[in-house]
Amino acid sequence: MIIGLAGNPNSGKTTLFNDLTGSSQYTGNWPGVTVEKKDGKLKGHPDVTIQDLPGIYSLSPYTLEEVVSRQYLVHEQPDAIINIVDGTNIERNLYLTTQLLELGLPTLIAINMVDVLEKTGVTIDTKKLEKELGCKVMTISALKGKGTKEAAKEAIRLAKAHEVGKRPEIFSGDLLKAIQEIEGKLDGDMKRWFAIKLFERDNKIIQDNNLNPDLKTVVEPIINKIEDEEDDDAESIITSARYEYITNLTRQCVVASKKQTKSLSDKIDSIVTNRYLALPIFAIIIFIMYYISVTTVGTWMTDWTNDVLFGEIVPNALTALCSTLGVADWMQHLLIDGVVGGVGTVLGFVPQILLIFVFLSILEDTGYMARIAFIMDRLFRKFGLSGKSFIPILIGSGCGVPGIMAARTIEDEADRRMTIMLCTFIPCAAKTEIIAMISSVFFHGSAWIATSMYFLSLAVIVLSGIALKKTRFFAGESAPFVMELPAYHLPQAKTVLMRVLERGKHFIVKAGTIIFAVSVITWFLMSYTPTLQYIDPESAAVSKSILRYIGEFIAPIFAPLGFGNWEGGVSVLIALSAKELAASTVVVLAGKAGVATLFTTMGAFSYMILNLFNPPCIAAMGTIWREMGSRFWAIFAISYQLVLGYVLSFITYQLGSFLFYGASLGIGQIVAIGLVLGIIYMVVRPGYREPVGELVNA
Amino acid sequence: MFPLTMAKVGEKGQIKRISGRDEVKVHLAELGFVVNNEVTIVNRMGDNLIVQVHDSRIAIDSTLAKRIFI
Repeated sequence: MIIGLAGNPNSGKTTLFNDLTGSSQYTGNWPGVTVEKKDGKLKGHPDVTIQDLPGIYSLSPYTLEEVVSRQYLVHEQPDAIINIVDGTNIERNLYLTTQLLELGLPTLIAINMVDVLEKTGVTIDTKKLEKELGCKVMTISALKGKGTKEAAKEAIRLAKAHEVGKRPEIFSGDLLKAIQEIEGKLDGDMKRWFAIKLFERDNKIIQDNNLNPDLKTVVEPIINKIEDEEDDDAESIITSARYEYITNLTRQCVVASKKQTKSLSDKIDSIVTNRYLALPIFAIIIFIMYYISVTTVGTWMTDWTNDVLFGEIVPNALTALCSTLGVADWMQHLLIDGVVGGVGTVLGFVPQILLIFVFLSILEDTGYMARIAFIMDRLFRKFGLSGKSFIPILIGSGCGVPGIMAARTIEDEADRRMTIMLCTFIPCAAKTEIIAMISSVFFHGSAWIATSMYFLSLAVIVLSGIALKKTRFFAGESAPFVMELPAYHLPQAKTVLMRVLERGKHFIVKAGTIIFAVSVITWFLMSYTPTLQYIDPESAAVSKSILRYIGEFIAPIFAPLGFGNWEGGVSVLIALSAKELAASTVVVLAGKAGVATLFTTMGAFSYMILNLFNPPCIAAMGTIWREMGSRFWAIFAISYQLVLGYVLSFITYQLGSFLFYGASLGIGQIVAIGLVLGIIYMVVRPGYREPVGELVNA
Repeated sequence: MFPLTMAKVGEKGQIKRISGRDEVKVHLAELGFVVNNEVTIVNRMGDNLIVQVHDSRIAIDSTLAKRIFI
């Protein structure tokens, strides 16, 4: 048995879903689209699946979420629907309810947040609401887990009995007659639903349901008549009728206490979205977040995992185990140096990343994240991006994979694609490791290097945004910004933890798969000569390894960037699979001589730039591929990152060594100046406009 | 009748008209922006506004705010 969970965004749907299913959740995607699909077994009822639908405001096809939800409801028809309604915002939530009831499926309305309602002195007459809406109405508090089990039980009963209530009549007068007339021209189930959609000229509904296309012409005069009468478009007429019905209904069923004081959310909003305070407050919050998760607590945890757990405890235990079992020497090296070394470095980041995700999830759960999008919108719009693009960038500073996925909330396709392309430019946790290594070895550990890299990456994102917006692919206005700001509430541990696990999962899976494989391969290439003789990779003998020959083959590519040695080339190649490996590879390859012998200062800086703007890792590239949903766009995005990384690194090295290290003005410098001029041109040139048909003089 | 962009913070009014005929208009309606509903300006940043409509708080940018008349 399948029970669908439908409701508005921010209505507490996720909380209810978590409460009903516990840990038995399965997350995937709806077929063909990048909208998350979640289902889980109802606790204590292994035969009942709860299907979580995306948060939607209506069943019109404005967003992908709405299209997916209605396709599911109409075609797959769950055995029952639980419609979760936010009691503190009942009118807007009932707008979706009126549409769900038209589907003619067994429906239960669960009014959420009754505890908050009691506090504010609002009472809802559920019996009356039940009578008016013709379906079962219950009150719950998803946050406190009150009434949720009862609601689920009732939904099961409705599904078993296939109890469909009596649909309320929302329309009246000529509009009702018109709808009924259209209904008369249809056959099959869900007549009312299809009739309204036809009336609204929802063309997608005809395509998706194989309706007779002639219907469109048949119903057109009916629609026109009403439109003329009301002097409005069909869609607005339906919307107004729904709201009119709801207003009447709530007037009868919802009693609010007289005193309406300024809510806590109002007070918080008047401070955090204040035009002068908004940006400073935002900066302080982000600073605290990074201070704790990267600089202090996170570093302690990472240092412990790297130096103690994977530096002593695990290797020592493994060595002891190997000698007891009498494992061959090479196998022991592979396990300890290759696998534990490689995978361990990556797992060392896990505490840092999880901490960043804890903070981000708290920001999301409290409702502040939505405000960040609003605050940043004004700034980002100037660069052709929407404020919603900022959230993927923010999440990308932890790990690019969930960052790219967070771009899903952007409705405009061009904006979404551009955000996917650009959000991984912000240094993720793995890239900060490269920055840390370079700045400690070459720049006396100056904190300015890391700070300036964040600003540089933001500048690259912004300038890329401006330049790309001027190309044919991304031209046009960004979609207007409209977003609901949920009421502030205290973060809930369960929701935050589930989100952290969900996002951290990608990272750990990556450690177990890609990085594991790359570590083993790298170890092999480093430990064997082309004639397959074992050498100690930590001695000078490493220069006889297979890896060296590969490195020498590709080194010329990187010579113009200032590090044409095989070690640099190899580490860039390995870093394409995972940036976490760049620093550790360089350290291992440099051996006892130290990293400082591998690069000149300028070369090291250029090496860092290349790694910052190259594609982050295989996992991120895979995610880009999946989220773009098209080969062209995936290749476009990844090529853009590869080329941009190389060009920026080239310019940095050539001009840097000319300006600061007294290199003479040569071909390299001239090409670099040419590239800079080219970039300036791309940013300042007039944008592409849709060609307009020219008037031809006869 | 004037667009929301011209309203002051704290100002309340009934929606008289929403101009335009596109998808965004439908989305605005879903969020509660329909004729006769009451809106309150909660806060503004430049021409971008936070408004209260029904019981929900919505952030909208100036291009949309210009289309909503009270």
